[in-house]
Amino acid sequence: MTTDAQPDPRSRPAPTQDAPHPQPALAEEEPRRRLHPLSPLLHGAKSLVVIVVGLSWQTLAQIGFEKFALVVLGLAVAVVIFSLINWLNTGYHVVGKELRIQDGLLWRRNRAIPLERLQAVELRRPLLAQLTGLAELRLEVVGGGKTEAPLAYLTVRDAAALRERLLALAGRTPAGEAVTTPGVTGAPALERPLLRVRNRDVVISQLLTPQAFLLPFGVAFVVMQFVVEGAWTFIGIASTFTAMAGVLLQPVRRVLQDWDFRLARDAGGRLVVRYGLLETRSQVVPLNRVQSVGVTWPLLWRRKHWLHLRLDIAGYAGPQGNGNDKRSDRLLPVGDNDTARALIGDVLPGVDLLALPTTPPPDRARVLHPFALRRYGAGLTPEVFVTRWGRLTRQMSLVPYARLQSVRVIQGPVQRRLGLATVYADTAGGRAGVAHDRDLGEAWTLAHELATRARQARGPAPLVTGEIAPDAAAAPMDSAAAPANSPTAPVDVPVADRAVPSPGEAPPGEVPPDDDDVWKRPGEARP
Amino acid sequence: MTEPTRTEVVDPLEPWPEAVEWRSVSPKLITVELISRGILLIIVMAGLVVGWMASDFWLFPVLMAASVLLAGWRAIITIRAVKAWGYAERDHDLLVRHGLLIRRLSIVPYARMQYVDVTAGPLERAFGLATVQLHTAAAASDARIPGLAPVEASRLRDRLTALGEDRAEGL
Repeated sequence: MTTDAQPDPRSRPAPTQDAPHPQPALAEEEPRRRLHPLSPLLHGAKSLVVIVVGLSWQTLAQIGFEKFALVVLGLAVAVVIFSLINWLNTGYHVVGKELRIQDGLLWRRNRAIPLERLQAVELRRPLLAQLTGLAELRLEVVGGGKTEAPLAYLTVRDAAALRERLLALAGRTPAGEAVTTPGVTGAPALERPLLRVRNRDVVISQLLTPQAFLLPFGVAFVVMQFVVEGAWTFIGIASTFTAMAGVLLQPVRRVLQDWDFRLARDAGGRLVVRYGLLETRSQVVPLNRVQSVGVTWPLLWRRKHWLHLRLDIAGYAGPQGNGNDKRSDRLLPVGDNDTARALIGDVLPGVDLLALPTTPPPDRARVLHPFALRRYGAGLTPEVFVTRWGRLTRQMSLVPYARLQSVRVIQGPVQRRLGLATVYADTAGGRAGVAHDRDLGEAWTLAHELATRARQARGPAPLVTGEIAPDAAAAPMDSAAAPANSPTAPVDVPVADRAVPSPGEAPPGEVPPDDDDVWKRPGEARP
Repeated sequence: MTEPTRTEVVDPLEPWPEAVEWRSVSPKLITVELISRGILLIIVMAGLVVGWMASDFWLFPVLMAASVLLAGWRAIITIRAVKAWGYAERDHDLLVRHGLLIRRLSIVPYARMQYVDVTAGPLERAFGLATVQLHTAAAASDARIPGLAPVEASRLRDRLTALGEDRAEGL
């Protein structure tokens, strides 16, 4: 998302186009703003912790406490100076429908983030930021493997106001509710609380994890080691515990992260997720940015009838399933079936978690799944594509048709002998809905059905010129079905731009048969 | 294996035979693939010959024979794999199928297109071929069509771009 600083004519929209309130028009030429003056200190402190951890207990033992303190002090000063220079060179401002961020000293970066692409905004407050009343604002846009624009740090009030403003500019609020927004911009909007997870449940749920069961063994192992070897040095114990903490204290980290978990809907109908003890996070997700919802029933929670809900948003698309705690993808850290059912009904309207029909693969797939065959399943409901898998940890994934990116059917050699195939429903969230080992005929039907339903859920194709798809009008474009999906129906912003067929679009087939033509860009279609 | 109780016999490479008109890629792609495999084989063989001359170890001729056999087998597979590669443009989506051992079919709606890549390596260019790849926001989407004549590649690119812009709803 790196662009030059040159003004882009496209980034200045007509003020009346799709912004229901006048703020964007006023914000055209606003000055560049700096982050909060305390930011370099906080950054420095953060880096310092990393450095101290990097130096390790071993170094402390080798060079003695005084020298160690001296080294740390020197590094601290250097880090703070570096952060200060960085802070002086960092600025942000909103231009039209873009957020521009400049930073860097040697490698200057000037990023323009188109707000139409905004997926979610998160406000993070690590411990130090909480003590100083600051917050970090993180924007999720599609494209980067990491968060594109962490603005660290702003005052909480500024951050909240900026977030409201960016979300309003993103312009994806449902038109009906957006009317209420202008009055409360900048102030905490009126919210409708959805649920609050009891901290007791969070603690119990994390005690019921494999890691928590392993913890006593780990501690016993360490104690045994010291008893046997008789080496009771402070350094030895401390470094062993530091090493163990990384692996075995995951439940504790989870508890700290999921502490005081609250969900609400804000005035614009967006989902507001808040949680955390040492580092609080507050995340705003427009509902039409939800790419898929994952449901997990861990083995040890089953007696309690508990489950875990996960929310996939395009911006967080990282490597799948490496247990990364940094991702903010919780929808419900722990809850019972009824809570989850109500919540899913809210996030994906019309979906009833407990009444999702799925059919298992045919019996001849038992060769591939000797134990868990009945646990696999796939089903098409009117709103979502449901897939389930897993014997010990039961999992389910719900992909709304409107969020489908592509459909794949894959058949391996063994599957071919058995007449089976696997259907993937890809989403931008990185996790695909996978229907394992379906009957081949059924797989084709499924793929066809998914493609058709995805097209209908996206709503009628906005403007199809005759020369491009002559039969589009005849296609069964079920426009009556579109209003039923109104929460996910697109606000067709670009249509107005393209109402006039641009002259640059040559009809296909009339392209000159020229080898070089492959390397040219197609005619500039945008005005 | 037990006899599968199929309700209907469906060819894994021909879904919806009556509704979809598949196009195949240029047979020149076979030559390109074979040449690139041949170059790889020559490099490997050269390395092995040098090793053999240096050490006179009995394993080197065995490895050479094995790599020639493997290359021959891969050549046969390549010829069939190129013939298996196909694509079809439907009203709303692009279908791409490929693979022999693992057969893959991708259905990518035009509306989901983020951008189109047209690439051609030196060897492809020498034979007048290009590769068109359609990217969506999902990293897993797999719509790559190699071995297209330049005219077809640019036609496809323009059509995909035009359709993508008209139906754009990226996410």
